[in-house]
Amino acid sequence: MSNAHPHPLEKLLASRIAVLDGAMGTTIRNYGMTEADIRGERSDARFRDAKKDLLNDGDLFTLTQPQMIGDIHRRFLEAGADMIETNTFGATTIAQSEFFLGDPREQGARKDPAFYQKVIEDPFLKNLAWEINEQSARQCRVWADRVGEATGRQRFVAGAIGPLTVSLSNSPDAEDAGFRVVTFNQVKTAYAEQVHALMAGGVDTLLVETIFDSLNAKAALVAIQEVFAEVGKKLPVMISAAVGRGGETMISAQTVEAFWTAVEHVKPLSVGLNCSLGPDLMAPFLRELSEKANVAISCYPNAGLPNPLSPTGFDLQPEDMARYLGAFAREGLINIAGGCCGNTPEHIAAIAKAVEGVPPRKVEARASSALASAA
Amino acid sequence: MSTSFVRPVETKPLRLSGSQPFTQQPGVFIMIGERTNVAGSPKFAKLIKEGKFEEAVSIARQQVENGANVLDICMDEGMIDGVAAMTRYLHLLASEPEVAKVPFMVDSSKWEVIEAGLQCLQGKGIVNSISLKEGEETFRHHAATVMKYGAAAVVMAFDEQGQAATLEDKIRICERAYRILAEDGFPPEDIIFDPNILTVATGMEEHNNYALDFINAARWIKQNLPHAKVSGGVSNISFSFRGNNKVREAMHSAFLYHAIAAGMDMGIVNAGLLVVYDEIEPELKEFVEDVLLNRRPDATERLVVYGEKLKAAGAGEGGSERKTEEWRSAPVEERLSHALVKGIDEHIEQDTEEARQKLGRPLAVIEGPLMDGMGVVGDLFGAGKMFLPQVVKSARVMKKAVAYLTPFMEAEKAAMAAAGEAVRTQGKIVLATVKGDVHDIGKNIVGVVLACNNYEVIDMGVMVPAEKILERAKSENANVIGLSGLITPSLDEMVHVAREMERQGFKLPLLIGGATTSRAHTAIKIAPHYSQPVVHVLDASRAVPVATSLLSEENRPAFVEQHRAEYEALRKSHAAPRQKTVPIEAARERRAPIAWRAEDLATPSFTGVRVLDQFPLAQLREFIDWTPFFHTWELKGVYPRIFEHPEQGVQARQLFAEANVLLETIVEKKLLTARGVYGFFAASAIDDDVELYTDSAREAALMRLHFLRQQSDWGGNEPCRSLADFIAPKETGLGDFMGAFAVTTGIGLKELCDSFRARHDDYNAIMAEAIADRLAEAFAECLHKRAREEWGYGCRERLSNEELIHEKYRGIRPAPGYPACPDHTEKGTIWRLLDVEANTGMRITESFAMWPGSSVSGLYFAHPQSRYFQVGKIERDQVEDYAARKGMSVAEAERWLGPNLNYEPAG
Repeated sequence: MSNAHPHPLEKLLASRIAVLDGAMGTTIRNYGMTEADIRGERSDARFRDAKKDLLNDGDLFTLTQPQMIGDIHRRFLEAGADMIETNTFGATTIAQSEFFLGDPREQGARKDPAFYQKVIEDPFLKNLAWEINEQSARQCRVWADRVGEATGRQRFVAGAIGPLTVSLSNSPDAEDAGFRVVTFNQVKTAYAEQVHALMAGGVDTLLVETIFDSLNAKAALVAIQEVFAEVGKKLPVMISAAVGRGGETMISAQTVEAFWTAVEHVKPLSVGLNCSLGPDLMAPFLRELSEKANVAISCYPNAGLPNPLSPTGFDLQPEDMARYLGAFAREGLINIAGGCCGNTPEHIAAIAKAVEGVPPRKVEARASSALASAA
Repeated sequence: MSTSFVRPVETKPLRLSGSQPFTQQPGVFIMIGERTNVAGSPKFAKLIKEGKFEEAVSIARQQVENGANVLDICMDEGMIDGVAAMTRYLHLLASEPEVAKVPFMVDSSKWEVIEAGLQCLQGKGIVNSISLKEGEETFRHHAATVMKYGAAAVVMAFDEQGQAATLEDKIRICERAYRILAEDGFPPEDIIFDPNILTVATGMEEHNNYALDFINAARWIKQNLPHAKVSGGVSNISFSFRGNNKVREAMHSAFLYHAIAAGMDMGIVNAGLLVVYDEIEPELKEFVEDVLLNRRPDATERLVVYGEKLKAAGAGEGGSERKTEEWRSAPVEERLSHALVKGIDEHIEQDTEEARQKLGRPLAVIEGPLMDGMGVVGDLFGAGKMFLPQVVKSARVMKKAVAYLTPFMEAEKAAMAAAGEAVRTQGKIVLATVKGDVHDIGKNIVGVVLACNNYEVIDMGVMVPAEKILERAKSENANVIGLSGLITPSLDEMVHVAREMERQGFKLPLLIGGATTSRAHTAIKIAPHYSQPVVHVLDASRAVPVATSLLSEENRPAFVEQHRAEYEALRKSHAAPRQKTVPIEAARERRAPIAWRAEDLATPSFTGVRVLDQFPLAQLREFIDWTPFFHTWELKGVYPRIFEHPEQGVQARQLFAEANVLLETIVEKKLLTARGVYGFFAASAIDDDVELYTDSAREAALMRLHFLRQQSDWGGNEPCRSLADFIAPKETGLGDFMGAFAVTTGIGLKELCDSFRARHDDYNAIMAEAIADRLAEAFAECLHKRAREEWGYGCRERLSNEELIHEKYRGIRPAPGYPACPDHTEKGTIWRLLDVEANTGMRITESFAMWPGSSVSGLYFAHPQSRYFQVGKIERDQVEDYAARKGMSVAEAERWLGPNLNYEPAG
């Protein structure tokens, strides 16, 4: 199943701890963007005439403020990130529908599979999602290669695939636990389009991240495998879950080991934890995962807990994050280190420094589970 | 006979998941529940066909409760839309946490149903099944889909020519399927062969070897196809004995016994319906095995004849499941009574509704069949034929019935009030744990037992001030007040409540209960302050007779008369002899004789304070001392001998099993958080105090602990001990150390108990409290072990848990408030010393009870001669000296030391 020649990323992970970038949203906030800024040039009627506020649709900046987004990518790369993520966390038809379609609940109806069928077939949303993914991948590609060449160190682009605003595991209807707003196939379709566009834009790897709901993630993983089969090309896949204080995925309440068992068949490049918790609270679950999973382990926690008084909106400063991730590295827990919400380029620089020279966690030589090699 | 089966060492286990992981354990058979299969359960099929999916979820829950590791879900039936039913049912199961934790087996002969099922599984499940029936191409396609979703697959021994019946065909097809899957990269440990369990004893000679063929195929697969697993649908084997459950159960058990020995990993079985192989009657076993192992040509005939004989003897239909359902056909009153006595809540709402319709009024249901049922429970309990855990379960059923009737009652009450009638109950009791105290397990049990007996119980919770209790008793028009408390300062608070009741002119009887209360204390210290009956209730089983006597117009005068006489006698006998004592100065001369030598003193590996957050509960389990747990439930005996007790053994075993189920959940889901703090400090004894220092030179004093000394004069050479005796006196110049600790496992307990109570499940609420208490003690034991290791001398000890419980190690960990150090206020020093509140969130109340409950704190002494003792009675001279040392007034010291005073304090 695996590619014949090791991917350069695999080689990188075997030689040292790789650094992933930090939070796009947190960093954007420091640029003081306004509703007018995200709508961009007045000539683009799509955004100019949109009825809802768009400021929280951060993925749109890729199209409307490419210079700022490019600047952020550059800053993370210069801070020492080996890998930057595309600005595409919500770049699917389903997630974008929140900003561009009316909510049926306002008319007394509800969101249901019929509604989402319209969403995934909506030409406007399909084009928009494609454009964000492809453009963001290209922008990342340019900056990764430019900084890579300037520093003589190859940089990589990870196509960020977020968790969506709908859940396949939960019913929003208190009266009917069997109801789901969306179907597996609809979610899979939305993800498949995102994967196609990211690959068209030239990403090196796909990162299914901030997994609150393991079944959503499964739909993304099925989509990825189907797209790979369709285009006849494979990229390494990275997987990262968001767990709560009990160590379970936030929506579908799956424990870390159960989650790994459920996604292991994809043979990902890495599996890990991100978002939701600061590094201190994440530690026990990271240890559990590191013990169970025989692939590279990634870790990019939030900068602690939200704190409205802090300039980044989060508790932990660069030196704090560096201390925690440095300790994880020395404990032999991780192969990939970075930051999620609240982590600025300064945080990433501190983390990069803290893990520099620390040997990466040893990934057990995977006993191939294919029979051919066992027999 | 050896039953062990040797696997290749490197065999990879099957790993699956629901919301929780499941990993196959070597030598442990995986049970796949079959009742959520429309073919496996007519009841389930009926519910699905009628669209009653929510009710069908309860069948899944029962399967998990009965121990199924995996649930087989099948909707293959002509009248059912398979895709829709599979999707809806799996969606519902995903919302049921207790069920969603296990992996699911998606079972269908229709591929679109399988794929719909796979789209609902967040974990790694099993597809049942794929096969070569439709040729190689379809097989490869199906296998690729299974791999894409990440599931294991049952591979049927079936090919283009049909189902494999003989050993040769089974081997041929399985080998071919394995080879194809290997080529496509299917993980071999996820291949589960089903080499077809076919029906034996059909009368057709060619069927006689079917059981053996399966067993031999299983053995061949395990030896020749690395990592592959073997499964099968067990009930097929006995299909020709339909209607004769006794024979069928015996066949299933015997078949599994042999198939598992040959390597069968898992099977679709009714987990609730398996007899133990060793318990099959020898004669039946022989006939059954003759058939299964094809040992003689007339085996079938002989088993048929024997089976008929069994059936004729009335045993044939006696399948355990059937028997339990028989009570369902009785009249509704009997059903209610049965449900209460057996603690079954499954049908209670339905039966309650039926009774309500039959009797016309909700109150008639409560006063009629429900009270009759609880009367039976009460009688059995009183006669020692039922035990407390069962009674609490009965109460849970009662509560659910009453909860169901409450809306009807409200309507009725309104109508009755309008008609000027009063609502009748046995009586209303206000229960509270007094101010400053947080312990309430015992009080909760008393509340439940009283409620069972139709008392209306108003439980005010813990740390309730006197004025609140009395206000509530007035506003509710209560008939009795019950006070509870565990720590000694609560005794004073109870006196205060009694005085207040007198002052406010109350006429209600007062009940006193809790671990430190006693008949003597109640008679001597509390009763004199209140002119109405003040009665000590020893345990929950006494609460009902006492309350009933006090509230019965007929029996009350005699009861009160007798009670007063008894308490008066107690007071008299107590007033007479005082303990013979020696003056404190003389007592100090008689300190515990220890020859101080440097080699007896241990130096800990660190000094200062260490914090333990989120200490793993799993590590604490092995340290649990279960004996007090059984005492909580009023089962008196020593663990594990209690299991062999002629009357209580069965109940104790069940209670223990249920406790472990809950404990397992608590550990797995981290429902409780264990936190602790401990430290070591340089220390020197100065008279009866111990001074702690911040430095090893013992110059900068940190804090001082104050201890009491025995003053009783037992004659002879018996020393007058004080804890201070176990620390090297300052004048010896020796460098000694002392430790202190505070641990809790009560964080999260309230939420857990509240969630149970919200479901009317007092049984599990009390169970959770009892378990949390055990965990806290286990934590103290575990930490003490660690402390001894850090002290150095503990590294050499090799003690079993039993030896730990009996404290066969060097050193002690006395706790303030206990006999060696009866003054609770010393906890305040521990709190400051370890900064307990900041480090763990544990607090102490105004009475120096620890909050949350399920907390333990104490001091560590390491000297080999340190030991536990009771301070016992002390005299005024020591109290005055102690008060001066502690910087408190003599009156205050007397208040805290009340139970220890050998004199009547002034005022």
